[in-house]
Amino acid sequence: MKKNWWKILTVLLLVFTVVAGMLSEVPRLAILNETIRNLYFHVPMWFGMILILLVSVAYSILYLRKPSVERDIYAHEAAKVGILFGVLGIVTGMEWAKFTWGEYWSNDPKQNGAAIGLLIYFAYLVLRSSFAEQQQRARISAVYNIFAFAALIPLLFILPRLTDSLHPGNGGNPGFNAYDLDSSLRLVFYPAVLGWTLLGFWIVNIKSRLEIIRHRLYENA
Amino acid sequence: MRMLRILAICCFTLTAALGLQPVQAQPGQTTVEYTAAPQSTDIEMADALRQDGKIYVVIVVLLTVLVGVLFYLIALDRKVGKLEKQLKDEFVNR
Repeated sequence: MKKNWWKILTVLLLVFTVVAGMLSEVPRLAILNETIRNLYFHVPMWFGMILILLVSVAYSILYLRKPSVERDIYAHEAAKVGILFGVLGIVTGMEWAKFTWGEYWSNDPKQNGAAIGLLIYFAYLVLRSSFAEQQQRARISAVYNIFAFAALIPLLFILPRLTDSLHPGNGGNPGFNAYDLDSSLRLVFYPAVLGWTLLGFWIVNIKSRLEIIRHRLYENA
Repeated sequence: MRMLRILAICCFTLTAALGLQPVQAQPGQTTVEYTAAPQSTDIEMADALRQDGKIYVVIVVLLTVLVGVLFYLIALDRKVGKLEKQLKDEFVNR
């Protein structure tokens, strides 16, 4: 129970996110109106995705330094959960965009960048599934994973800033810093990011343990 | 046993959330929880919805979904934990 304290924290943070996210005072902004509350649900998907994929890359690097089945499993499961968060981020973003920007997909540089980034990560899954031999699969996917993450950063955080973008904080648009003068958004936003990210790590934790058990079972069969 | 205890805590939280709702949803109460800044009254917000108290219905629904999913995750966590323990015992007995 002692090493599971962060799972309890996850539950508390997510319950706080839902309750405070719906009830807390938010800035009154034209067009956005109450949809500003999506900040607590859409944006944490991307923060969570980046953090989970960062863990995936870390395990890939660790694998290349000293190969072990566990490290490969952690990298793979983290990448899969990161992709899940990315897909949820893109879908929630499209839903939000429909009612504020007018269209589900307006070819916003950040939307396009996110789509390309996700495709790069889908290729990671395809690449993995094309090897029968475990060590070969683990080594080559670890190398690819590092490249995929290196490609994702400019696609999401650098290129959209260089052109006009509808996303806040990009292309001359003000970031959310300009809105939350009373820090009321931050009060819920940071716990929300932490809560959703921890939920992702929890899923990675369970799936990896299951895969390790499966591996042990086949090893001894 | 521990499962039962967690289930009891969850039931309590849910009933507490449900019990809170009618209190705050009293139609007679006209406590304005949030007042608009005078210069930005033309921007529509869900004030009426909050006075009706119906936003709490949404929160209860959201919490139900969240608690359901989290419970599923906890159950999964335990199942994997049990498997891990079983596997360890098997190694010891061998």
